[in-house]
Amino acid sequence: MRVGYSYLKQQFANIDPYLSDIKKLILSEDLTLGKPVGEFEEGFSKLTGIPYAIGVSSGTDALILSLKILGIGPGDEVITTPNTFIATVGAIAMTGARPVFVDNNAEHTIDVTKIEKAITKRTKAIMPVHLSGTPADMPAIMKIAKRHSLRVVEDAAQAILASIDGKHVGSWGDAAGFSLHPLKNLNVWGDGGLIVTRSKELYKKLRLFRNHGLVNRDEVEFFGHNCRLDSLHAVIGNRLIKEAHFITNKRIEYANQFDEAFKKIPEFITLPPRRRNFKRVYHTYVIHAKRRDALLKRLLENGIDAKVHYPIPLHLQKAAKYLGYKKGDFPVCEAHCRNIITLPVHQYLTQEQMDYMIDCVYNFYKS
Amino acid sequence: MTGVIKIPYINLSQQHDAIKDKLMTAVEKVIGHGQFVLGPEVEEFESRFALFCGTKYAVGVGNGTDALIMALKAAGIGPGDEVISVANTFISTISSIALVGAKPVLVDVRDDYNIDPDLIEKAITKRTKAILPVHLTGRPADMDPIMGIAKKHGLKVIEDCAQAVGAEYKGKKVGTFGDIGVFSLHPLKTLNACGDGGVAVTNDKEIQEMLATYRDNGMKNRGEYVVWSSNSRLDTIQAAMLLVKLDHFEKWTEKRIANAKFYQKAFSHLNVVRFPVEHPYEKSVYHTFVIQADRRDALSSFLAEKGIGTKIHYPIPVHLQPAARQLGYKKGDLPRTEQQSQNILSLPVYPELNQENLGYIVQSIEEFYKGRGGS
Repeated sequence: MRVGYSYLKQQFANIDPYLSDIKKLILSEDLTLGKPVGEFEEGFSKLTGIPYAIGVSSGTDALILSLKILGIGPGDEVITTPNTFIATVGAIAMTGARPVFVDNNAEHTIDVTKIEKAITKRTKAIMPVHLSGTPADMPAIMKIAKRHSLRVVEDAAQAILASIDGKHVGSWGDAAGFSLHPLKNLNVWGDGGLIVTRSKELYKKLRLFRNHGLVNRDEVEFFGHNCRLDSLHAVIGNRLIKEAHFITNKRIEYANQFDEAFKKIPEFITLPPRRRNFKRVYHTYVIHAKRRDALLKRLLENGIDAKVHYPIPLHLQKAAKYLGYKKGDFPVCEAHCRNIITLPVHQYLTQEQMDYMIDCVYNFYKS
Repeated sequence: MTGVIKIPYINLSQQHDAIKDKLMTAVEKVIGHGQFVLGPEVEEFESRFALFCGTKYAVGVGNGTDALIMALKAAGIGPGDEVISVANTFISTISSIALVGAKPVLVDVRDDYNIDPDLIEKAITKRTKAILPVHLTGRPADMDPIMGIAKKHGLKVIEDCAQAVGAEYKGKKVGTFGDIGVFSLHPLKTLNACGDGGVAVTNDKEIQEMLATYRDNGMKNRGEYVVWSSNSRLDTIQAAMLLVKLDHFEKWTEKRIANAKFYQKAFSHLNVVRFPVEHPYEKSVYHTFVIQADRRDALSSFLAEKGIGTKIHYPIPVHLQPAARQLGYKKGDLPRTEQQSQNILSLPVYPELNQENLGYIVQSIEEFYKGRGGS
């Protein structure tokens, strides 16, 4: 049996409505920030209950624009974690600010007990990452931010519809970035992203910032970027957004099945803590495994697209050399890199595929 | 009274309607393989575009602005540096300089709307790192003196070819003179995606590698990051549609040139309407056909009443924009640019215009100056 990591093939099963939407768009001339983008922004805002959404060209750009619009730049420091996708830290560095790492906890999100030690006079913001769709501890983070007057930009790239006590991720900080990359829970068919905010003032500025700073065709308020959500992808998003709850529920259901199965072999598999008031949306299903590399190899041999998110922590990447971190600086994160494994958990998996994956893991440890 | 628009300034749906089946086949092909991020069509577009320009490499990116930003970074330009360019251009030429942290230094233009090479040397300081000429309207800037100055002073040259795919200067395509040539593939450009897109060309392997890394989050491969960067990739679906359009592109360009020639001939007897002289050594591709006209605003309104769409590229020069306050320019600093912004008017010039359309536009302009719409 083959269990793919990507689920795009299944998404194309009924392709005709998408094609007809694309054709209509191409003939409409409404190709830049037109109606489809507005409709998607509104839909996203409704989906998450966050008042303002701004469609941008990628999750990375969502973070860069959010930081820049909050005035973060050269000389500033932004606190985040080293176990995340490169874009989190890339976004901080692209503003000219310095990324400052704090180790993560057993849930793979930022360890809030270590944040305050990392705050200096130059610290301007915290950028928690809701990695794998698990919310970072936002109530604690917001308290720290308030105490030290720091901005908070949430990296919610992997966490559409995740929440804490029913309050959606992205609605805690000043702004948040979501990704619509083809492999995300809510995806488009190319790069795409969204910024959300509760501030009308930020919203107004961000709308200019993503479009050259243009107030109208002829007038430029400030030097801005060009990073607009493509209309073509907004058209795709407008169809897929209707499935967001189905996608999320299915992923949660499968993750729970995995959890139940792996709880039975605690000597081999350790699950991250699952806080009850946190809604995790499982962009990735990440667990800790004994003899990880051998397990990974076995799963791949058995046709299962298992992966590692991420094998090399960011503080040990070549790009981070100038920050002066070394091996041993973030022991929890580094230990995780050696034993984490990601199993497919997407909404189009069948029960047979789920059972097969669980069997493969059991069999590996039995032998 | 505003009449019904008979000839819009731009008519994309006409262009797309004629090739809609081919475009949709291209889209379906991408969906078939599902490689939406940097899929095979991006690479195919890059190699065809490089071949078209006559450069070794092309790198597809998210849009023309990002192409400029990444090109400036690849050329090593950043905070503390100065880059010389013009104020008579789309904002992103200048904002990209500002966004990499460098200072834009603006010089005046010639009658052809492009940078005046005679003014460049006076603007050079110890901090100057690059010249960023713009091939505005699809007309090549005067590259020989520009390259001469750059060589003499050890400056980089990044060409803003956003409006000039296929334009030539002394038999050589624009974008191939400087260190990097930067193109926009925006829907309103001559080679246009159905959304945002951009591409940069170069002959320098090292620059190509830098651009490819910059556009992809600084990734060398899935687990290895060599530099922090944003992400700005040419969309695969857009690349697939661009490949369809490339097949038509030379024909479309010839039609634009023919339309421009029609205008030039028709207006040669009308001294109230002026346009740049076309030098024998240049091939202009007419992204826009920009005239300088007496009583420009009245003419534009008159044409609107006649159902003819026109535009102004650009009514407020960059140095007088609120965004440029920090640069410290004032009215009068760039007299020719400012004077042109009062008189310039862009007429429809897209390939789908027919003889009847063109005749009607010329006739309407003549009518205006004969007095009926004048005064």
